[in-house]
Amino acid sequence: MLDRDLAEEVLRAARARGGSFAELYVEERLGTSVRLDDGKVEEVTTGLDRGAGVRVGHGTSFGYAYSNRLDREALLHAAEAAAASVGDGGPGEVVDLRTLEPPVTHPALMDASEVPTERKADWVREADEMARALGPEIRQVTAVYGDSVQRVLVAASDGRWVEEVRPRIRLSVSAVAGRDDTIQTGFHGPAGLAGAEFIEANPPARTAEVAARRAIAMLDAVPAPAGETAVVLAPGMGGVLFHEAVGHPLEADIVDKEASVYRGRIGERLASEIVSGVDDATVPNAWGSFSFDDEGAPARRTVLFEDGVLRGWLYDRLRAEKDGVPSTGNGRRQSYAHPPIPRMTNTYILSGSSTPEEIVSGTERGVFVTALAGGQTNPATGDFVFGCAEAYLIERGETTTPVRGANLIGRAIEVMSSVDAIASDFDIWPGMCGKDGQGVPVGSGSPTLRISRITVGGTGA
Amino acid sequence: MPDLLDLCLAAVEVAEGDEQVEAFAEERSTTSVEAHRGEVEGLTFAESRGVGVRLISDGRLGFAHAADPSVDEVRDAVARARENAAVATPDPFNALPAAEPIEPLDGLFSQELASMTTDEKVPIALGMERAATTTDARVRKTEAVRYGDAVGAAAIASTEGVRAEYRGTGCWVVVVTLAEQEGDTQTGFSYRIARRVEDLDHDGVVVEAVERAARMLGATKPATARVPVLLDPVAASSFLGVLSDGLSAEAVQKQRSLFGPLVGEQVASDVLTVVDDGRLLDGPGAAPFDGEGVPTGRTELLSSGVLNGFLHNTYTARRGDTRSTGNAVRGYRSSPGVGTTNLFVRPGDRSFEQLLREAEGGVLVQDVTGVHSGANPISGEFSVGATGLRISGGGLGQPVREMTIASTIPEMLQSVAALGSELRWFSAVGVPSILLGEMTLAGV
Repeated sequence: MLDRDLAEEVLRAARARGGSFAELYVEERLGTSVRLDDGKVEEVTTGLDRGAGVRVGHGTSFGYAYSNRLDREALLHAAEAAAASVGDGGPGEVVDLRTLEPPVTHPALMDASEVPTERKADWVREADEMARALGPEIRQVTAVYGDSVQRVLVAASDGRWVEEVRPRIRLSVSAVAGRDDTIQTGFHGPAGLAGAEFIEANPPARTAEVAARRAIAMLDAVPAPAGETAVVLAPGMGGVLFHEAVGHPLEADIVDKEASVYRGRIGERLASEIVSGVDDATVPNAWGSFSFDDEGAPARRTVLFEDGVLRGWLYDRLRAEKDGVPSTGNGRRQSYAHPPIPRMTNTYILSGSSTPEEIVSGTERGVFVTALAGGQTNPATGDFVFGCAEAYLIERGETTTPVRGANLIGRAIEVMSSVDAIASDFDIWPGMCGKDGQGVPVGSGSPTLRISRITVGGTGA
Repeated sequence: MPDLLDLCLAAVEVAEGDEQVEAFAEERSTTSVEAHRGEVEGLTFAESRGVGVRLISDGRLGFAHAADPSVDEVRDAVARARENAAVATPDPFNALPAAEPIEPLDGLFSQELASMTTDEKVPIALGMERAATTTDARVRKTEAVRYGDAVGAAAIASTEGVRAEYRGTGCWVVVVTLAEQEGDTQTGFSYRIARRVEDLDHDGVVVEAVERAARMLGATKPATARVPVLLDPVAASSFLGVLSDGLSAEAVQKQRSLFGPLVGEQVASDVLTVVDDGRLLDGPGAAPFDGEGVPTGRTELLSSGVLNGFLHNTYTARRGDTRSTGNAVRGYRSSPGVGTTNLFVRPGDRSFEQLLREAEGGVLVQDVTGVHSGANPISGEFSVGATGLRISGGGLGQPVREMTIASTIPEMLQSVAALGSELRWFSAVGVPSILLGEMTLAGV
């Protein structure tokens, strides 16, 4: 994407006034999306985005400048602007750039950009037909297909030269079901770091079926009971909770700002001893995976909790240098328009020894959550809240009536310490994680697990 | 670099036959300064521009966009939009709007802000960080202190004769403080936005962020009770965002709005008037024309609780046999949807002190979490987490946390009892304090 001599020239300009390092990030992204809504292929879009960002680090501070022009003049202008934030040091060194080999690759078998757009339009039509075939209750269907190929180049003053091509693909379906005055929604959207073969493995009709059945099932829902109860989380859902409530406070920028409930507590038991959790960018072809992070650090697996004991933080380059440790490869950014910050990749709770049947049958009374709607957490206090998109009552060891309007509310350490059973039916859910105005693709995984006590907010008795 | 309007015209010139072609171009330069522990932690400069091309042929819509394109790349984008249109389902309501006279809107652009240097911006962030960590002994740290600004321009041209452009400026400050006492940590958020840097209230944002963190120290989880709820503007703004989803004609036509069949009905308490005004300079969403070149205007969506109608772009207006309200909302990367410009609740007549007296025995809710995951904009049901303070003796008392409020949007709209007199803007949403009748706050 860029000539090495020009990259070196830009890095030298960026280090004109010193700083601890300079880095150039160049990105090009070509994407196609097809949106079906209201029975019509409403919009077909193609987009080309590209740009470059130059960063100069000094301590935990940085200067960052970007442009969506890639010519020499624009890049040198960005380098000067980024350098201006550093004090008046002398010029810093730029080591000869050399290519780093990826520790893991996530190849696309079938390039999605080679698939005719007409075929992609058929995929969303198949999803629409399947969802509507499931019952007269389905009133509305939205199916969105998207693929993109992101080409990334990272060059830095320590000599790293990293190039990566990241193909991403997703087909998601939202269904609206109605009966009389009751309206409910269902969503499902598998996604991968892969090519068009991903759609073959995750057929649009199956995605539509999951979304539509979810919406229809919830039409019979009664208001969720409010109060403390046991909650069983279906595969993947424990990962969503782990990501929000535990993962964010383990990001090193939040720890560094003393805004993490886990700060200073590595080595302590802060979760039930059956909880082990990791962040892992090497999971093959997973939505949150890559070969290198957006600072050119190799993808890796980082242990966060081991048998309930807190083991470590998620580092980007700035925070790792401050703490004198290697980056964990968690420096990510939404695009060239954003400086990298510590972010999760695929974050998950490892499998345990129970079975899902044992867990449900061993629960006298509780709520079984099959889909969370997303959540919010305050990393400083560990307080979190999650909406439930699909949930059922558990009565005398059996899943019974669907419940609506439920949310889970609690504090990270207490809730993780209350996990009393984990199965081995592991699943990973793709999502977009937002932080500081930047969205990045992440995976959240877990087997079926149970929290012995947690507050459920709801309108029922 | 080619002029924005010239880039748009380059797209229009290559339209073929009966095709309708529209190009929308934007450019923006932004600066952001983050301060932490007395130093500049991050300094970010950005320059970006792009063009989005919409093409309609035989009722089929295609779209393509490109970042910082040359004239040739804009023409390529037209070709790609044409290929994309060929795949789409024909829809007789797809059409570009005819050109209408656009009244200029003065005051969107501040030359002072556009010519400010970084050296003048850095002290704003540093000063706020220093003030935030030195005014209260319990607040010595910050989670985020940021100053940001943007100088931008937009242009649009179409085969239907639309030719328009404007430029604008904006600046904002965000402060998130950490209060600590006896092992307890609380955070306090505050935010201000303005068009001109001299209108930005740095002192106010700091005082508020410090106060909001410090007063939550020692918060406990209350027993479940049914009490009056006073939403402060921060909390109220979250709910207005959810409400706005249901006020778009797009949501109504696609049966995704709970307000669809309710035009002319009393959907809310008669103290509630909700307005969208794309020409109101106080709000950051002001512009002379919308994302399709249609002049912006004022739409009273709820008048004293009665639902008047919905927000429209050209597509929904044609489909609903009405006129666009100038609410086509977009960036260059997407074709126009329907959205709000500046959406606000018309303030009432109560001072904050009066509201506290009327909410005696209740709770001031200062933050709600999980509104977007916990509220279903279609069914109107929601269940959200809340933190706040008890109200007693006409003042604020014990802080409370880990509460949930569960209700429905229609019930909540009907329960609005009184409104504060001060309107606060959060991005393009404006709200006063809102006193609700009794609601169930679930705790232990």
